[in-house]
Order: sequence, then structure tokens, then C-alpha cells
Amino acid sequence: MEDVLDEIVSSEDLQKFEKVFHEQLHQGNVTHKAQFEYAWCLVRSKYPTDIRKGILLLKELFNSHPDGKRDYLFYLAIGNARIKEYNKALHYVKSFLEIEPANQQVLALERQINKRMEKEGLIGIAVASGAVLAIGGIVGLGIALASKK
Amino acid sequence: MAPSKGDWDAVISFCEAVMLAKEEAWCVREQASSRPSRRGRHSGQRRSPDDLWPPSKMTSGPYNYSYIFKYIIIGDMGVGKSCLLHQFTDKKFMADCPHTIGVEFGTRIIEVAGQKIKLQIWDTAGQERFRAVTRSYYRGAAGALMVYDITRRSTYNHLSSWLTDTRNLTNPSTVIFLIGNKSDLDGQRDVTYEEAKQFADENGLMFVEASAKTPGVNYRFAIDAASASLGVLTTAGSSQVSECPEAAQAAPSLFAPILASGIRAAL
Repeated sequence: MEDVLDEIVSSEDLQKFEKVFHEQLHQGNVTHKAQFEYAWCLVRSKYPTDIRKGILLLKELFNSHPDGKRDYLFYLAIGNARIKEYNKALHYVKSFLEIEPANQQVLALERQINKRMEKEGLIGIAVASGAVLAIGGIVGLGIALASKK
Repeated sequence: MAPSKGDWDAVISFCEAVMLAKEEAWCVREQASSRPSRRGRHSGQRRSPDDLWPPSKMTSGPYNYSYIFKYIIIGDMGVGKSCLLHQFTDKKFMADCPHTIGVEFGTRIIEVAGQKIKLQIWDTAGQERFRAVTRSYYRGAAGALMVYDITRRSTYNHLSSWLTDTRNLTNPSTVIFLIGNKSDLDGQRDVTYEEAKQFADENGLMFVEASAKTPGVNYRFAIDAASASLGVLTTAGSSQVSECPEAAQAAPSLFAPILASGIRAAL
């Protein structure tokens, strides 16, 4: 556990806030608080489908509840970063920083996202070069076999 | 400090527009990245020592610390929790700390009694709307830093509620510290040292008055905090695990380094 992007919600917590949200949903009166608490847990889930659901709930809150916008923006960035939608996450981060340029919490998140992009970019390159080598080997083998004949 | 509604509206509509434009490209990327090589990492066991100590860390070479202690910082809004954290982790004072969103995370390695200890600090938001969810961060904490502002009596009056939460949500070996912050503003003092000291003594808390503006103060305090936790760990740690099922459940997160096999050997 090295940063906020690694942190995973416990299943008890997720279920607890899910229950409150669904009860309110059933009664047709969901409070901002219940929706936010549930969404906050969802974006910390280990399952991408949960995270996507959390992102939808946060977007809805963002459009309907002006008072909490900075909170929603922050967790929209976290949720997107966790499903590796790094460009989206960085857009939310940059938007936040336009309004609060010196916010350390958000600047730290930006650094973590950049670090991940870099790391996974490198992994991508390694996989790609591995594939090139493998293909090269097969082609080489093919040529060798062909020239034997 | 609070941005107007108009600002945020403009920002989000800009965001959404850019995203819509790029949605297609992202979909392609998503398909490509939906088979990440590290997928297995998150599908492993839950509530294991890995919560605190990811395998990637353990296998990535020699450790430069012997233990990880999780600490939480709690207390009312505006008492200076984040300023204390930043003074401790970044060694600088931030005059204008915005309200923390949810939780903020910081680490620093300190040395106590010849042992290198990594303090993993979770700084929780003081605003009431975060409180229900931030309660889940108490779990597995080796220590809780409970902060009030010596110039605002209301923040002191709320301590009993913070203390109740801490007692209910942590285990008995969690060390609780009381910090009276903003001690540099002695002229505006609203809570006496003696009164707070008495409260701390009655409840078995360690107590100090401090200022997030003073470099080094927090470091000294962190050393004391970690020494206390280390004391708890060395006297109670391993025996607790085998004897009491409840403790065994609480212990993995609190004393993760000891339980994770091979770690001590790797030191």
C-alpha cells in the first residue's frame, strides 16, 4: 500500500453503504450523503465494474449538487485512474488544479498518476519488444528450415 | 478559498467536452488494457498482510525498514491535521491548507531504538460529511493522533466523541495520542495545558502541545509515538496472535511485518 490508488475498500464497508443507498433508492429519496458514501466506496473497489458504477454516481452528483463539486472531482480522478483511464483522470486533476493550483493532495495524486502511466508505458514497450523478438525468432527459424531444404 | 459554482461548472463542461471527443480512442485503449498482466495482484486474499504490505514491495529487493506502523490523524475541521502531516512528511509548513478531501496519505521512515520504522499516516478529513466513511480507516491502526486546536474550545469539547470512535474502531493495543495544535498562538489560547493534560491522564493518552509551524516538533513526537507502538509490539505482538482469535484477526494489519513470512529474514 504505497498510495491512495492502491487502497481497497473492505467488502463489509462496501455492503454497508450499498445497503443504505439501496434502501433510499427504494424509497425514492436518495440523499447526496448516501450516494457519495456509496460512490466513494465503489471507486475503491477491486472490481472495475464497481468503479465504473461509482464514477457514474459521482458524475450524477457533480451535476446535481454544487456544494460538493471539489470532492466529486477528486474521486472522479481517483476512480478513472484506478481503471487505468489515466487521460480522463488527469483531465479531472487539471480541472481541479485550475481552481486550487496549490492543493497538495491533488498535486500528489497527479504525480502518482503520471508515475503509473510511465511504469505501465514501460511495461507496454517491454511486451511489444518481447513480441518482436519472438516473431523474429520464428521468422529466423523459418528461414533456417527453408534454407536446409 | 471556496471557488464559486460558476468556476466548477465551466470546468466540468470543458472536461466532458474533451472526453466526449476522445471517447472512441479511449474505448480502444480500454480493450487493449483490459487484460493487464498484474490482474492477479488484486484478486488475491483480502484483509491479509498484503493490505499493508504489497507483494510487489516485498519482492523488489532489500527493505530499508523493519516495520510499518499505520497511524491515523483525526479531529475537528481546521485544527491543522494536514499541516501536521505535511510538516512531518515534507518538512514544511503550509500556511493555507485547503480542506482535505476524504483522506490524505503520507509516509516517512524514522529510526527508533536502532529499528527503522516506516510510518504510514492516514490523515482524515475533519468535515462531518466524510466521517461515516473515514471510520473505516481506523482499522488496523497502530496509533491514533487525536488533534484539537488550543485556540478553539469547541474542537477540544468534541474530543470525547473522537475518543469514543477510536476506542470502538481500533483494538486495545492501539496507542492514542492527544495533540493540542497551534501552540504558537498562545495569546489566543482557549484551552489550558493543565486541563488538557488532565483529560489525557484520565483517559490514558499521551499528550503534547505542538505547532505545525515548528519544524522538528512533530519528528520528536513521532519518535515517541513509534517507541510506544514498538513497545506494545515487542511485549504483546507475537503471543497475542496465537492465543486470541480476535487478536489474530486484528493483528495482521497492525503487525503485518512480523506475520508476513520471510520478511524478518529479509532484513
